[in-house]
Amino acid sequence: MNKLNSPVRNPVAVLREEFDDWAVLFNPDTAQAVGINPVGVAVWKWIDGKRSIEDLVRLIEQQYEEVPESVQQEVCSFVKDLTEGGFVGYKVEMN
Amino acid sequence: MDFELNTHADSLVQSVMRTPRSVDVEITSRCNLRCRYCYYFNNPSVIYQDLATEEWLTFFDELGYYNVMEVCLAGGEPFLRQDLPELLTGIVRNRMRFSILSNGSLIDEKIASFIAETGRCNYVQISVDGSCAEVHDAARGKGSFEGAVRGIRLLQEFEIPVAVRVTLHRFNVNDLENTARFLLQDLGLPEFSTNAAGYLGSCRQNAHQLLLTTRDREIAMEGLLELSKRYDGRILASAGPLAEARMWQQMVKAQQGGLPGFTNGGYLTGCGCHAQKLAVRADGVIIPCSMLAHMGLGRINAHSFLEVWQNSFMLNSLRNRYLIPLTDFKFCEGCEYIPYCTGNCPALAYSLTGQVNHPNPESCLRKYLKEGGKLKI
Repeated sequence: MNKLNSPVRNPVAVLREEFDDWAVLFNPDTAQAVGINPVGVAVWKWIDGKRSIEDLVRLIEQQYEEVPESVQQEVCSFVKDLTEGGFVGYKVEMN
Repeated sequence: MDFELNTHADSLVQSVMRTPRSVDVEITSRCNLRCRYCYYFNNPSVIYQDLATEEWLTFFDELGYYNVMEVCLAGGEPFLRQDLPELLTGIVRNRMRFSILSNGSLIDEKIASFIAETGRCNYVQISVDGSCAEVHDAARGKGSFEGAVRGIRLLQEFEIPVAVRVTLHRFNVNDLENTARFLLQDLGLPEFSTNAAGYLGSCRQNAHQLLLTTRDREIAMEGLLELSKRYDGRILASAGPLAEARMWQQMVKAQQGGLPGFTNGGYLTGCGCHAQKLAVRADGVIIPCSMLAHMGLGRINAHSFLEVWQNSFMLNSLRNRYLIPLTDFKFCEGCEYIPYCTGNCPALAYSLTGQVNHPNPESCLRKYLKEGGKLKI
């Protein structure tokens, strides 16, 4: 069984966008809620089970100006946080 | 452009949200008890009529569409609804969590098991007003203590989070120590919350028998502060004597120390609920809060919930109370605590003065002290 590289959103997770472009991600199964900033919201929406972390980084670089060099690390860390919070998972491939 | 992608659980938006985070639903207007201080019954503004299952399910679909996180079912007594499992399924299906406010007496194994299996229950809140039937039943009716305790034990058996609310009145104010021991030690609850009977609904008719006197409030404040310390903060309050004692201590200290006014002081900032939640009456009328039942904002499934939330003139006026300075009120004239005061609950202000945009006279520190009330600093 291999874990694929493309994160997938937990379908039960809820994204509550607020007036100032920040949002709350809420997992009703665990009651966990986290605040995410506008770039995080964009990344969340791009996560589709097909795009890899590298694809997400590329999209940020295309869509935003003045992207810092640490973007790859930051996206990895963000997706890791979401995975640990049960908001994101990875598909697995059966051997 | 800020590229910080870290998540912040404590940075949730404080201003008015695009949609409410939670909605209080009075799922039924029926109750098997007739508590003498009930805020819900005997309110001439309320039409005591229930909606059909389908109406609520359609509404829950709308709430799910707008990403509401929690529905709090109240009443009346929610466990009187035979279709409760179906209603809870509608909430769960729409990716929401729920809580239930109850007297506990109608909870049986079947419904407790169902609630536990949903995995989405934040808590079931049971009202317990004393350490024994004699005290609890004095305002809630014969047999109600036994029902409440049975309900709590069943919920505990099914590992459903139990919240207990103790409402203080003249018949239980001298039973605080026993009540705390019963709830925290005998029943093993992690904590409980407190409030006091307020001049609303049925309590208006029984006010002279039930509402705490100044001396009772003094006993309640002193007792709860001491018990809260003894039980390591396991006694909570967002209103009522314990909350007032904590707030008033800070106000007196600040005033005596000549400290600058509090951030939310000096204006009618007393309730921030309207930025986060809405309520719906049992007959489907949308209201700002269960205790402001006269302020109909629209009707579920007839008016857009989003439109009401974002554009209701009445709701936005309520949200703008924070712009009204306490110096505008004759009631506050000359008060040295104004810079530290929030004006408190608009619903109680309305019930006591007929005006929503008025400070709540019953939560006034100056009035309490004038009437001979003492406060330990």
